[in-house]
Amino acid sequence: MQAALALALLFATLGVGPVAAADPAPTPREEVVSDISTREISIQSNFNGIEILIFGSVDFSGAAVPGKDIYDVVVVLRSPDQAVVARRKERMAGIWVNGIGKIYPTVPGFYAVLSSRPLRAITSDETLKTLGIGLNNIDFGRVTKSGPDEETFRSTVIRLKEQQQLFQEHDDGVAFVGRSLFRASVDLPVNVPIGRYTADVYLFRDGQVVSKNQSTLEVTQAGLDRAIYLMAFNRPLLYGLVAVLLAVLAGLAGWAAFRRE
Amino acid sequence: MFQIYLPIAELSVNLLVMLGLGAAVGFLSGMFGVGGGFLLTPFLMFSGIPPSIAVATGANQIVATSVSGAMAQWRRGNIDFRMGSVLIVGGVAGALIGVALLKILREAGQAGLIISLTYVVLLGVIGGLMLNESIGAIRRARAGKPASGRKPGQHNWIHGMPLKLRFPRSRLYISAIPPLVIGWVVGLLTAFLGVGGGFIMVPALIYLLRMPTNVVIGTSTFQIIFVTAVVTVLQATFNHSLDVVLALILAAGGVIGGQFGVRAGQKFRAEQLRAMLALMVLAVALRLLFDLVLKPSELYSLSPLLAGA
Repeated sequence: MQAALALALLFATLGVGPVAAADPAPTPREEVVSDISTREISIQSNFNGIEILIFGSVDFSGAAVPGKDIYDVVVVLRSPDQAVVARRKERMAGIWVNGIGKIYPTVPGFYAVLSSRPLRAITSDETLKTLGIGLNNIDFGRVTKSGPDEETFRSTVIRLKEQQQLFQEHDDGVAFVGRSLFRASVDLPVNVPIGRYTADVYLFRDGQVVSKNQSTLEVTQAGLDRAIYLMAFNRPLLYGLVAVLLAVLAGLAGWAAFRRE
Repeated sequence: MFQIYLPIAELSVNLLVMLGLGAAVGFLSGMFGVGGGFLLTPFLMFSGIPPSIAVATGANQIVATSVSGAMAQWRRGNIDFRMGSVLIVGGVAGALIGVALLKILREAGQAGLIISLTYVVLLGVIGGLMLNESIGAIRRARAGKPASGRKPGQHNWIHGMPLKLRFPRSRLYISAIPPLVIGWVVGLLTAFLGVGGGFIMVPALIYLLRMPTNVVIGTSTFQIIFVTAVVTVLQATFNHSLDVVLALILAAGGVIGGQFGVRAGQKFRAEQLRAMLALMVLAVALRLLFDLVLKPSELYSLSPLLAGA
C-alpha cells in the first residue's frame, strides 16, 4: 500500500504516469524527424555560397507499416523577416525616377520551399495558405498604401527575390531514399542574409499535415567582416575615425614609398 | 577567384577589378593633376556599388590621396595654412548640410537620382568649359601665337567686403567671407558627390581670390584632407554608408596608379592634357545622363527599409 502510494507520488511529480495512463493516444501516428547537415554557417570574405542538406525520416513506430508512396514531405527553410521597400521607376520630365515606395514589413530575407511533389498535388490551396507554404503564400505583412497595382508589386517582390536566388521553389526538391528516409538540398547563394534560419519539415498524408518538425540554422558573419560590420553600426563614430586614420596612414605610406628627393 | 566581400555594401566584388579601378583613377589624377574623385565615384556607381556608398567611400579614399599630395606640397612650402583653415571652416559647415541632405534623400529612395543629376550638370558644365578653353589654346599654339596669360593685379568686387584678414603666404589682404563661401560650396559637394572639389576650388582661388598659382594647389590639397576626413566621419556616423574595405582597396590602387600617371602626363602638353580630361569628363556625364534617360531594363527595385523612412 505504502509502496503504491510512493509510486503514485513519483509519477505525479514526474508528471507522466497518470496522463499516459488516462489518455493513451487514440490512433498511433507516424512522426517526422529531421535535421540539417550543418548547424552554423559563418560567412567570411571568401564566402561563395554553400549547399546545405536537410534530411530526415518518417518514423512509423506507432503506426501500421504503410503502403507505398502515400507520404509527401515539404521543407520550408526561411531566414528572419526584413522590412523592404519596393519601388517602380516612372518617367518624369524625360528621366526615370523612383516612384513612391511600397513598404512590406515582413519579407523573409531568404525563403526556400522544397517538396516531394508539386505543392498543389500535395494539398489544397487553403492548407498551403494557412501554413504559409509556397512563394505565393508568404505573409509580407500589412502593406502601406495598398492600391490597384497591389498584385503587380507583390509578384515583383517575389520575382526580384527569385532573381537573387533568395526565394526558391523546387517541386522535386525532396527525394525519398527508400520508404522512410528523405533528403533535400538547398543552395544558399553568396548574398544570403544573416540570422537564425528555421527549417520546417511537414509530413503530409492524404492532404493533411500529420507531423511537423523544426530545426534551426545559424548564419553569421565571421572574422574581420563581422568586426567591421558590428563596428560600423554599433560604434559608427569610432569606425569613421579609424577609417580616416587608415586612409592617412595609407597616404603617408604612398608618399614615403614614391617620393623623389 | 579574387572575389572579396564588402561588409557594408553587402556585396561581393572582384578584388582585381577594384584595385584596377583605383589604379586607373589614380593614373588619370596623376596624369592630369586632379584629385580624381569626380571620376572615381561615377565609376563605382557604374560597377554596381550603391550611390550613397560610392559617395562616402570615395571621400575616404580621397583622404589617402590628398595626404600623399599635401606632403609633397608642404615640403615645397606651397601651402597657405591660414587660407586653408578658413576654407576648412566653410567646408565643414557645407559638409554637415550635405550629409544631412543625403540622409533625407536616401530615406526617400532618391539619393541615386539626385547624385547622378548633380554629376551630369556639374561634369557637363565643367567638361564643356574645359574643352572649349583647351581647343582654343591648341588652335592658338598651332597658329604660333603666344598663350594668353591672365591679367594680374586687378581689383574686383571681392575686395570691397568686410571682415578682412591678412594672408601673408598668399600676399593677400581680403575679406574672410569669399573663402568661407568657396569652402562651404566645396564641402557640400564633397559630402554629396564624394569628390575633393579641387576642380572648383582651384579656379575659384585663382580667378576669384587671385591667390598666387604656386600656393593654390598645395592649399587646396591641404583643405581637401580635412574636409574629406570630416565627411568620412559624418557619413559613417549618420548614413552608415562607408565601406572601409573598399576605400582601402581603392586607395592602394590609387597611390600606385598615381605614380605612373605623373610620368605619363609629362609626355603631353598642358592644353592637350586639358582637352583629354575634358573629353573624359564629358563622357562620364553622358553615360550618367543615358542611364537616367534610357528606359531601364528593370523598372522595379527592392531595398531594405531604412530607419526613419
